[in-house]
Amino acid sequence: MEFVRPDSIEAAVAALQAEGAACLAGGATLVAMMNADLVAPERLVSLRDVAALREASRRPDGTVVIGAMRRHRETAEETDLRDGQRVLREAAAQIANPPVRNMGTIGGSCAFADPAADYPPALVAADARFALAGAEGRRTVPAGDFFRDWYETALEPGELIESVILPPAPAGTVGSYTKLARVAGDFAIASVALALGMDGGACTHLAVAVGACGPVPARRRDIEAELLGGPLGNAEIGRLTDALAEAFDPVDDVRASAGYRRRVAPRMVRQAIGEAMQKLGETQ
Amino acid sequence: MTGEPVTLPVTLRVNGAERPVAAVAPWTTLLTVLRDELGLTGAKRGCNQGVCGACTVMIDGEPVRSCLSLALNCTGRDIVTVEGLAPAGALAPVQQALAEGNAVQCGFCTPGILISAHALLRRNAPLSVDEVRAGLSGNLCRCSGYKKIVEAIVRASEARP
Amino acid sequence: MKIADSFVVAAPVERTWRAIRDPQVVGACLPGCEEIEAVSPTLYRARIGVKLGPIAAKFAAEVEVLEEEPPVRVVTVTRGEEGGRASNLRSDNILTLAPADDGGTRVSYEADMTVTGRLGKFGFGVMKKKAQSLASEFAGNLEARVNEAASGG
Ligand SMILES: Cc1cc2nc3c(=O)[nH]c(=O)nc-3n(C[C@H](O)[C@H](O)[C@H](O)COP(=O)(O)OP(=O)(O)OC[C@H]3O[C@@H](n4cnc5c(N)ncnc54)[C@H](O)[C@@H]3O)c2cc1C
Ligand code: FES
Ligand code: FES
Repeated sequence: MEFVRPDSIEAAVAALQAEGAACLAGGATLVAMMNADLVAPERLVSLRDVAALREASRRPDGTVVIGAMRRHRETAEETDLRDGQRVLREAAAQIANPPVRNMGTIGGSCAFADPAADYPPALVAADARFALAGAEGRRTVPAGDFFRDWYETALEPGELIESVILPPAPAGTVGSYTKLARVAGDFAIASVALALGMDGGACTHLAVAVGACGPVPARRRDIEAELLGGPLGNAEIGRLTDALAEAFDPVDDVRASAGYRRRVAPRMVRQAIGEAMQKLGETQ
Repeated sequence: MTGEPVTLPVTLRVNGAERPVAAVAPWTTLLTVLRDELGLTGAKRGCNQGVCGACTVMIDGEPVRSCLSLALNCTGRDIVTVEGLAPAGALAPVQQALAEGNAVQCGFCTPGILISAHALLRRNAPLSVDEVRAGLSGNLCRCSGYKKIVEAIVRASEARP
Repeated sequence: MKIADSFVVAAPVERTWRAIRDPQVVGACLPGCEEIEAVSPTLYRARIGVKLGPIAAKFAAEVEVLEEEPPVRVVTVTRGEEGGRASNLRSDNILTLAPADDGGTRVSYEADMTVTGRLGKFGFGVMKKKAQSLASEFAGNLEARVNEAASGG
């Protein structure tokens, strides 16, 4: 096993081209797996010294770019994330506990793509894109296409996540992240990432992604689009939760049974929408 | 294909002192170096998975897991272990508070708790029970003496100037 | 961990049975199977690689036929060992074939699997999903193979 610490994205990508090379970000997952003898990369490419990956910025149009090495604690406090984008702040704040939030990064969490992780649903609901860099150059992939399957992403071998790009959220929208876990800081049993806008009883913006209920976050853009412009009452929310349930494929694990997840997730969606409407001063 | 492990010499800054270590393998964690190479056995290996918090140390002023930090990634950083909270032989206020509050049972979790508590107390304001509980949420106590631990830290925060 | 499912192949039972009892066909259909050899008509050795995110494992596996009732039922046990890395896999499998409505064959399988050692630390929930998806990939491959053989005469 080899250890390298490049100081630029280009050098990191070059170092990643070797067979068996892996990025080391916060280490909160990778080192835990090495300690458990689950993985033994032949070359560790530490991203610690790549300054460009540690930055976050807001463009004049409201787009927010978060470097892959931004840690959960930093993202939880990111004041550049506004309106509906706040879904990401709320998700970051609910990951694990303070020491792990001081280590873990958004790039590492998304690259690992744990189906119960908190960022994937938040990024899918925020319509974020991933900026990837590889030997062939750079490309961006929408979050909805980035997460592919259980622990599988669109990352090609030798490619790394450079940043996550959140488009501006319409002014006046709210973003929220609701997580159900056995204890605070555990991985989710189920989670709901939401961005919502209402105007005089009519829905102007709606994005709902459910986490921990399948290999990738569940989202039904088709139904969301149909609900735009109308009220969000019981019937409308029911249509959305029914459609979302079709996209669920939950596991039975130590946290909860698949059946429990199927039962609880639609109620969480309903509750999250209700609370967001209250924040917006709207009645259901 | 493992091949020859490439070990490297490193120097870590621990509790204010430069500490050279002759050969560190890439997979060696900071916890292992602290305990096995530097004789600093305050940080404990509970789970080696980031879950229990017994190995918590401060890096650049922030509590992190030393069992999940690779030693080769820690050069150029300021590492503080429980041994560095107070000069040899003395107790830091937070250590004093835990001792006086009978907040230690077997003591296995204590070094990690002290590091997390130390970071909380740096805010220099009285802490509520909820704030302390949130700040310690990454530190498990198998003896389950949380109540006294939390009370002692709240008291320490109130006693500060 | 138990998995069970069934699928339909558009070929009669006899032909499906021949495919399923041909190690070369099974080896070619099994995702991650790198080589397979018949030690005897009832014992096969195979090298199988599986991947779950960043975790990759290579098993040296043995498949032993314990009972068979041509052309409708075969009971096998698979034992796999991960070279030197202390993970073991065992799977007790029952495969049954029955004529389906449209002249095809319904293939049903049941497997009871245990994984011990380093990979056993990984959650069973997702492992089960992985096993199911490998099984359905196998089913798809087998179906394509059998149909190909049928149209090729
Ligand atoms: C006790 C504990 C509790 C946790 N609880 C939660 C929780 O409640 N919710 C949650 O979401 N997560 C949780 N986590 C996971 C945590 O968020 C991790 O920080 C995160 O999954 C991995 O981030 P990392 O920066 O530490 O990545 P690493 O561990 O360094 O890397 C993880 C993987 O990503 C790859 N990688 C890293 N960076 C990049 C990059 N830029 N480009 C491409 N590949 C890359 C690595 O090669 C590796 O395969 C928990 C972890 C622990 C230890
Ligand atoms: S030993 Fe590091 S958290 Fe348990
Ligand atoms: S005092 Fe024993 S583990 Fe906390």
